[in-house]
Parts: sequence; C-alpha cells; structure tokens
Amino acid sequence: MSDFSLEVKKEGSVVIIKTSGYLNNVGGEKISEVCYEEMEKGKNLFLLDLENSKVVNSIGVSILIEIIEKLQDVDGKLGYYNLAPIVEKTFNIMGLTKYSSVFYSEEEAIKGML
Amino acid sequence: METDEKGQLNYYLSSLSELGEVLIDADKINKIGSGVLRLTLGTIMASKGAIFLLKKGNEFSFLATQGIPKESNLSLFSNIIPKLEKFKNKQIDVFLEKELIKEDLKKQLKEIKVKILIPLFHDKHLLGLLCIGNKFMGQTFTGVDSKVLNIISNHLTKALYNNQLIKEVESKEKEVKLKLLELETLFDISLAISSVLDIKELTEEVLWRSVGILNASKGMLLFKNNHNPILKPIATFNWDDEKTLLSKNLKVFKEIKEKNRGIVLKTNDETPIQVKLKEKNLIITPLQAKGKTLGFMILCNKETRKGIEAFNPLDLDLLTALSNQAAVAIDNATLFKDVTKAKKFNESVLSSIATGVVTINRLGEVDSINKAGLKIMKTKKENVIGNHFMFLFEKDPSVIGLIEKAEKENKICSEINISFITSSQETVVNFSVSPRLGKNEEILGLVLAIEDVTDVSKVKNTFKRYVSKQVVDELLDDDAKLNLGGEEREVTVLFTDIRGFTSMSEKMKPEKVVSTLNEYFSLMIDIVFKYNGTLDKIIGDELMVVYGAPTSSKDDTERALKTAIDMQEEIKTFNKNRLKKKENPIYVGIGINRGLVVSGNIGSREMMDYTVIGDTVNLGARLCSAAGPNEIYVSDYVWENTKGLFNYKKLAPIKVKGKSKKIGIYKIKN
Repeated sequence: MSDFSLEVKKEGSVVIIKTSGYLNNVGGEKISEVCYEEMEKGKNLFLLDLENSKVVNSIGVSILIEIIEKLQDVDGKLGYYNLAPIVEKTFNIMGLTKYSSVFYSEEEAIKGML
Repeated sequence: METDEKGQLNYYLSSLSELGEVLIDADKINKIGSGVLRLTLGTIMASKGAIFLLKKGNEFSFLATQGIPKESNLSLFSNIIPKLEKFKNKQIDVFLEKELIKEDLKKQLKEIKVKILIPLFHDKHLLGLLCIGNKFMGQTFTGVDSKVLNIISNHLTKALYNNQLIKEVESKEKEVKLKLLELETLFDISLAISSVLDIKELTEEVLWRSVGILNASKGMLLFKNNHNPILKPIATFNWDDEKTLLSKNLKVFKEIKEKNRGIVLKTNDETPIQVKLKEKNLIITPLQAKGKTLGFMILCNKETRKGIEAFNPLDLDLLTALSNQAAVAIDNATLFKDVTKAKKFNESVLSSIATGVVTINRLGEVDSINKAGLKIMKTKKENVIGNHFMFLFEKDPSVIGLIEKAEKENKICSEINISFITSSQETVVNFSVSPRLGKNEEILGLVLAIEDVTDVSKVKNTFKRYVSKQVVDELLDDDAKLNLGGEEREVTVLFTDIRGFTSMSEKMKPEKVVSTLNEYFSLMIDIVFKYNGTLDKIIGDELMVVYGAPTSSKDDTERALKTAIDMQEEIKTFNKNRLKKKENPIYVGIGINRGLVVSGNIGSREMMDYTVIGDTVNLGARLCSAAGPNEIYVSDYVWENTKGLFNYKKLAPIKVKGKSKKIGIYKIKN
C-alpha cells in the first residue's frame, strides 16, 4: 500500500472524495483540507469512497470526527461507502457511525445523503 | 426610586434565569463561556471581561473574551496560581489587593483594563479565572453586582467542572474504545488462525491491523530464511521492501531472540538498525511459535495529532500479543501449506503412475483410490470409496486371499500374472498388498498395488510362440531392442527340413497334413525353447532357428547342436508312435552354420519380423538340404568351435551355389 492520495468529484450537491492509501494523520488531514475548502464554498454533503483505503488508525478517525463536528455546525453530513470490514469495524467501535452513515454503493450513498 | 430598584432586581433575576438557559442549552464549553461572559458583563454593566481556562502546565488560555485581545500578555498570571487558593471564589480587586497582585502584574492587568479577578475553584482545584473590567461610565460596582458575580462565578465553576468531567469521561470513553479495538484486533487475529490459511493474506492482515491499532506510520513483517542471513520481507505497509536488506545477525535481532522480548527504539538510541532504516522511532517484536523465532515485526513512528512520538511500553505489550497470535497463525498456515503441498505431490504422483493404488482402512473399507486404480477396475470412485474389499473383489477370491494373508501376517504379499475378473475376464494383473503402518508401527490399514499386465501378457503369449521366455523378457525389458534397423553380429543358425514331405503329403488328406505338421512342430519348438533358441520362421515343413540373436551367449553353437541332437532323438520317439498308428514315419535333415549375419527387425512398423540375413544363413540352409534323413550337418567353422564337445565325421567338401570354393562339412555321429 503506497502513499495517500485522493480524487474529488461532485455529484450534484454531494462532494465525493475517493481515497487511496493509509487513512492516518496525513490521510485525514488531506481529507479535511478538501472538506473545509468545499465547506467554504457552501458544500455540506460529503461522501468518502474508501475502497482503496484498507487501513485506518485512530488519528485518522479523530480527524473524521472533527470534520463531522464542523459539518454539524452547518447542517452537513458525512457518509462513507466501499468500506473494508476492518475499517467499518473501527468506525463502529470508535463511534463514528453514530454521527455519519455507512453505505454499500455509490448510488445508495448519493441517495442516502440527499 | 423604588420602581428603579424593583426594575433592577427584575433585570438581575431575568439575567440569572437566562444564565440557567445558557448553561442548559449550550452543548459546548466555548458556547457556555461566551454566553456566560456576555450575560455577566451585560448584567453588571461591565465594559469588558474574559474567562481563562487553566491548562496543563499551569498556563491559562482564553475560553471567552469580550474587549480583551486574545494576544494580550498573560505571562505573569501563572506566578499567582500557588497563592490563589487563599482567594478561592473571592472577588479580587486588582488595584487593592497588594499581597497577591504585585506591581508588574498590576501593570499587565492595567494594560488590558481588568479590575476584578475571580479564581474559579472546585474544591481545591483551580479551573480558571473570571476577569472583569471597569464598569461603564466609571461607575463603581455595587453590592448587588458583587452578589450577582458570586452567583454567576459559582455556576460557571460548576459548568467548567462538569465540562472537565465530561472531557475526562470522553477521554476515558475513547481509551475504552481503543482498548476495545485492540481486543477486537486480537480476537480477529485469533479467528484468522483457524480461518485464514493463505500465508500472504494472513501476514498482510496481521501487519495492517498492527500498524492501524498502534497508529504507526508504516511497518513490515520479516521472515527468517534458512539458507540466507538476509531477512525476507513477507509483508510490508507503506514501506519500500526492495530497499530493505536486513540481516538476522544484526545485534538488535540477536538480542530480541535471546531475551525473547521485543524492543522499543527511540530517537536517542541511534542503533545500527535505526541508521539502516533511516527511522528514529521503532518497535520490534519477535514472531515466535513453538519456541522458534520465525521472524520479526517492525513498526515505525507512532503518530499523534501533534506529530511523531516514540512507542511506549504499553505499545510493546500490545504488539507482543499481536505478534504471538500472528506467529501461531503463520505457523499453522505454513504447516497447512506444507501438508497441502505434500498431499498434492502424493496425489500427483499417485495419479500419474500407471499402477493402481488402493488404500484400505483398518475396517477393510477403501478410503482412497488413484486414477489408474479406477481405470484398471473399470469403475467410478463413488462405487469404490467406503466399500469393503470383500465386496469390491468378490469375483476374485485369490485377491481376497492375498489381502487377508497380508493383514494376518503383517507383511507384503504379492502375486504376478493373476486373472482379475473384477475388471474383466481378460484382465491380467500383478497384485501386491502392503501393510500401512503408523508412527508406532501399528497397522492403519493396507495398500494395494495393482499393475495391469494384460497387454504385456498378450504380447508375451504371442511372442512366446516364436521365441523363448528369456528372449521375450529381454525384449520387453528394453523397448529399444524393438526398433527398426539392424546390426551385424555372429550367430548360429539351425535349419530342419522333413525329407520327402512334399511327396508324402500329396498322399495325405490336407487336414492330416496340418495336424501332422502341428504335432511335429510342437515337439521341435519345445526343444528349440528348451535351449533358448529364437524361432526365426517356419516355411512349409522347414524350420529356421537362430542362436545368438537377439541375445547372444558363449554357448550359442553348443545349444544349437544339442537342439539338433534332441530333435533327432525326439523324432525317433515320434516315429515309433506313428508306426503304432500305422502312419508313415518322417525323417528330418538338419544343417547348422555359424558366422556373421545382419540381425534386426525387418519390415514395416505394422508388419515387422525379427530375423537374420546373410551368407551364413544361406549356407546353413544349404547344409540342411545336403543332410540326409536323421543326419545333422555342420560347417567347418561350427566343427572348429565344437570338435571337443561332439563326435564328428568329416565328409567330402561340397560345392555350394554362389561360392567358388567347395565348403568343408561334418556330420554328427550318433
């Protein structure tokens, strides 16, 4: 698994961020940069496609929690799809899924966010 | 005036009521801070104020401010912390309290225009400071203002304390969640021991989970190599494995192995492995199973929100537990891989060999059979597996007997060329039964080896009509001898011919001619095979036999002569019987020569005869023609080689077609 990278695309009002690599401090910061930039432009619905991020650590999770908190201030949402079982388990245990949604396909995720 | 006081009281009461709402509604400490400060300053009509929180390290930070710049110098605040308990929840007038507020601090506070300081204590713990500036329009604070400040600061203290509790609970909750995650990870790896048997998948799973759970930035799993000191990276995460060449002889690995304990390396350690890996913070644990070190797990750089830090002893304990679990899982997977490989190899060997192999368990039931076994038995696997051998081979009592014998006597029993009716009436097999023994020599069952020799048997049976058993075996042992082509070799040829048979047969019925010839040839060929001669051909009533091809021996000529003598003796007996049956006797002339011939399989692939050709053969035939009834003629070369063994009579040389010189001949004396 190589260094973290991401691709951003938009489906209507939803910003989709497809990540690749370790969702750690570096990965989390890169995601938050994109989210905060887009929030300044008025976006508040974000989806993470984590198909190529099979490993996550607690620093990455805490950055996602910060993003969720900031999104709550602007009535926004964060969702995820294509989660590896380990990642989904980590999100569940760390309480992320109480404040954000897990989906199983992009189509379902976009519908669920709107 | 009364109305003013009542109005002011109502104002204070409504402010306190609002304070309750701020404290109840606000879900975050920042909102509480700004709400309380706004309400306080508004209620007592103060121009500015701030709430400071006491952080770790005895430093204050702004929770909320109104009119006091956040960049204000608060450096001297820390100096008064030890003395503040004395002023617990009291309102300190900055300009009047000289014992606590020295000139330099007073100067700082004056700059930011703070008049009142209220230390916010919960029990003995200082939580923060409430700072209040001057009252609007230079008014002085009243007794009611003071009471209101007391009430508000008490509530603020409770709110800060609650917030601290909540933070602590949240922090504990996070710790518990992380512990749960650690336990789940350990549990998942223990599950993987029994479910994941692919070594690559397993090692990646273990490494990825370890990196994630320890917040490491990267990691790798190294395996020891039996033939090489360089440790082999079997799984890596965020690490360029191609550049990583680590020897198991590095001091750190030796120490870990000897002490049977992992190690945490920090920035100042500067060990060779840190230099080699160009990393400062490492944690290394051994992968140990059954007392053997299989390899090592190395993780690098513990991530925090503030940057990279060294791993701690708790991390080492966790990684040790993960490594121990992983080692067992990897050992299992390796064992499974080896067993599978061995099983596949055995299956591949069994399926590729032409011999049928059947294994029988202690109950006498078949528990495996290879492809060749099914082919020989002309059956399907489902008809065989689980079936008792008594039923399976019920048509072949000899096979059952052999199995029972091997079982009873606990030794290998075999039979060759036995009819195998289980397969078909025509099938001939070599059958061998061996006991299958366990570790302690106990019988686990039997192994049956079935070799289908039907084709060989057919060939032998056919071949045996022409050559002796010895020659058949030799040819079957070496396929190369069946190749087309030829070679020059020295052989002895023997020809027999029935004298006057053509004229005699003209007076006989055809079937009588055939039966007479068959009876005669049967007797002669038996003698030929008795002396390992090769029956080259039968032409009419003539017989051609070769000694020394396809295989030769020193006594080829001697055996040819013995054959001839026995033949003449046998014919005498044969004739006595014919005379008894009032049938005409037959008389045979025999000629024997020795010399170089060309021998080989002559013909086409479809129709091929093993024969010998050349002058030696022609002369042998001429000698036979020259020999009278009951006579055996040999060439002078044969005589020269055997004169010490047999009695000869020299005859006058004869002229032979194709030869300019006369040929010396000898006749065997009775």
